[in-house]
Amino acid sequence: MRKWLLLLLAMPWLAGPNLANDATPAWNEITGEKLLALKLKGNVARGEEAFEGCQGCHRRGATGSASGMYPRLAGQHAAVLIEQMADIRSGRRRNPKMEPFADEHVLTPQAIADIAFYLQGLPVPPSLGKGPGKALERGKAIYSRDCADCHGEGGEGNGAKFYPMVAGQHFVYLLREARLLRDGERGNANPDMVRVIKPYSDQDLEAVADYMSRLDKR
Amino acid sequence: MAAISLLVAAPALGDDMERARSIVAATCAACHGLDGNSVVPNFPKLAGRHPDYIAKELGDFISGRRKSDIMASVVAALDTDDFKLLGAYYGSQQPTPGKVADPTIAENGKKFYFEGNEQTGVPACEGCHGTAAEGNRKFPRLAGQHREYLIEQILSFRTNARSTTRVMREVSVRMTDAEIKAVAEYLSSM
Repeated sequence: MRKWLLLLLAMPWLAGPNLANDATPAWNEITGEKLLALKLKGNVARGEEAFEGCQGCHRRGATGSASGMYPRLAGQHAAVLIEQMADIRSGRRRNPKMEPFADEHVLTPQAIADIAFYLQGLPVPPSLGKGPGKALERGKAIYSRDCADCHGEGGEGNGAKFYPMVAGQHFVYLLREARLLRDGERGNANPDMVRVIKPYSDQDLEAVADYMSRLDKR
Repeated sequence: MAAISLLVAAPALGDDMERARSIVAATCAACHGLDGNSVVPNFPKLAGRHPDYIAKELGDFISGRRKSDIMASVVAALDTDDFKLLGAYYGSQQPTPGKVADPTIAENGKKFYFEGNEQTGVPACEGCHGTAAEGNRKFPRLAGQHREYLIEQILSFRTNARSTTRVMREVSVRMTDAEIKAVAEYLSSM
């Protein structure tokens, strides 16, 4: 409960739509249903019920799949989840696998808010999908140098700024999304993030993804 | 009226069930069975389905959202106020267990039911329909259902002949014929 209150207080757009529009960067324009879902109060019980339609892929408890095909969502910041769901619906983040299951015929903006609040409150399960563990020192060095400022020393992310929690996310998923970000294929990427990750080799990406998958935020 | 009497006078529940039984006997039982365990492979078993789901489908037949020549004429003869009652009647019937026809295919179907297909983006069926395929208010019970009916319905989602759910349309398009057959085998064996 406290975590949500703090998060709510830290959300600048809650002060009013004008402020939100002025303050938001172009990569994550908070307008339309994204703004609506962010302002709506999520209901955990309703979110749990609505999530039934998601758990065929993201699994019960939102653990994702260890293969890394589907990300873990448990414990992720509600703001990040709302941002991603809205971007997938609008096509900004291209995800044809998921899009039909989250489109407007399936989920209302209220349901998006409900699901996000439900997921945010779920306990973070132990990491399941880790990398090969061969370059963890290199991964740690890269993470501390380039990633920790935004995603946090422990990979906890920052909901108020829409920086996702990366701790304990499945290795294969992290690696896949990192590649998409680097190669300019993730659609809704933060340009600051793209600038940082652009020069990374495949080995760099693998090392840092492996390191992140082992961060324990529980 | 039925709903009101359920609320205000608990003893009337038995009377309502008697009334439901007589409606079922006259209108539904020939195809679905008096106890909801249809013995005809093309007609679904309704025993143990969630009452709200049954009522919702009846409403969809009335509105034409769900198309069926047979059901359209049958529901037209029913009183829409009785839909919930009919749902409660069939929902409270004991489902009979299915039969295993091909254990190997059923085993493949079980795997698919619990895992889906990650490569092609088919969600695990159990996510919505439940670990025992028991269903709930929103998603139908599938356990013990006739394989022929299951296959026919999945194919009708695929062709959009049954267009009541966006999600099943997408799921069915992504499923192969072999996956449809296997999962129907597993469910009908439960």
